[in-house]
Amino acid sequence: MTLTLTVNSASPPLGALLTAEHVKSTVNVAIDQGKETSLKVADSVSFNDVNSIVRYLARLSPSHVLYGTNLLEQAEIDHWLEFSSRHLSGQLGSALQELNSALSLRTFLVGNSISLADFCVWSSLKVNSTWQKYFSEGQAPCHIKRWFSFLSNHEVFKSVGGKWTCASV
Amino acid sequence: MAEAALKELASLEKYLGLKKTNKYSTKGERKVPVLQTKDGQDIVGLVTIACHLVKAAKQEQLLGRTREESAVVQQWLEYRIVQLGAPGAKEESRSTLRDLNEYLEDKVYFGGDFLSLADILMYYGLHSCMVDLTVQDREKFVNVSRWFSHIQQLPNVQQHLPRVHIMKNRIYTNVH
Repeated sequence: MTLTLTVNSASPPLGALLTAEHVKSTVNVAIDQGKETSLKVADSVSFNDVNSIVRYLARLSPSHVLYGTNLLEQAEIDHWLEFSSRHLSGQLGSALQELNSALSLRTFLVGNSISLADFCVWSSLKVNSTWQKYFSEGQAPCHIKRWFSFLSNHEVFKSVGGKWTCASV
Repeated sequence: MAEAALKELASLEKYLGLKKTNKYSTKGERKVPVLQTKDGQDIVGLVTIACHLVKAAKQEQLLGRTREESAVVQQWLEYRIVQLGAPGAKEESRSTLRDLNEYLEDKVYFGGDFLSLADILMYYGLHSCMVDLTVQDREKFVNVSRWFSHIQQLPNVQQHLPRVHIMKNRIYTNVH
């Protein structure tokens, strides 16, 4: 089974690309460039929203445990997916404070390993100009900064981040 | 102390997946651990033995992958022996925790972003200290607590030590 992920190269859905990259050993995803982001799963079914795409990919590959290990973790991940698409675009406001406090006692956002929550929150920050300004000027809150740099140093994040954000500039 | 060091080495062997257990003894007043190797040579000292075990298990990446990384790992292994192993270390534990808390603010592991032997030995070394802390103090040394809870849940690290409960959410929001 091959799925096709069409990527809007003007604003690449980094979260979806990261998820596709993480599950590639079990799920075959072909990546295509186009005008709009969508994941075609059947002739009549496709998803346009990044959160729907990442959830679908994670569910297809339960062995990678990207969607939590229990119901509570799943709910937490849902919270962060929502948070990343609602509060981390444009002006950041109090969202950074909330995120910083959540990360003070956690290495990863949910549970003890990497999950969709990390992908989507990282991606929203990565393309956010306010965050880029804070980060480069050293004003970023310490816990987010540590978590963000830790993920950014991962091979997969490096390759996805490098490839797609350079292309869009 | 001596027993703790031997237990620690036995746990490390299990973590590394070494099948056959080695023969240990101790020597001197400080009860320094000694490993008797098959060819009759003795390896002396906690960190020296630990590094030897890592190599025996062919997990050299735990000693650092580049020259800079190995230097950092060695630095913390020495810190473990000198700072945490010294007599009176218990009394100074709060100032030790304060220093470590500052150091770990921007790091996930002692080496930065890779797991090393330093994390495992520091975990064993700090365990008794963390057990004694109050909930409020665990939050005060928030970076140490986060690092500690991350290390103790890694597969096969915990071994002989009881789990230390560390909250995932903050309750004392006014402390940093």
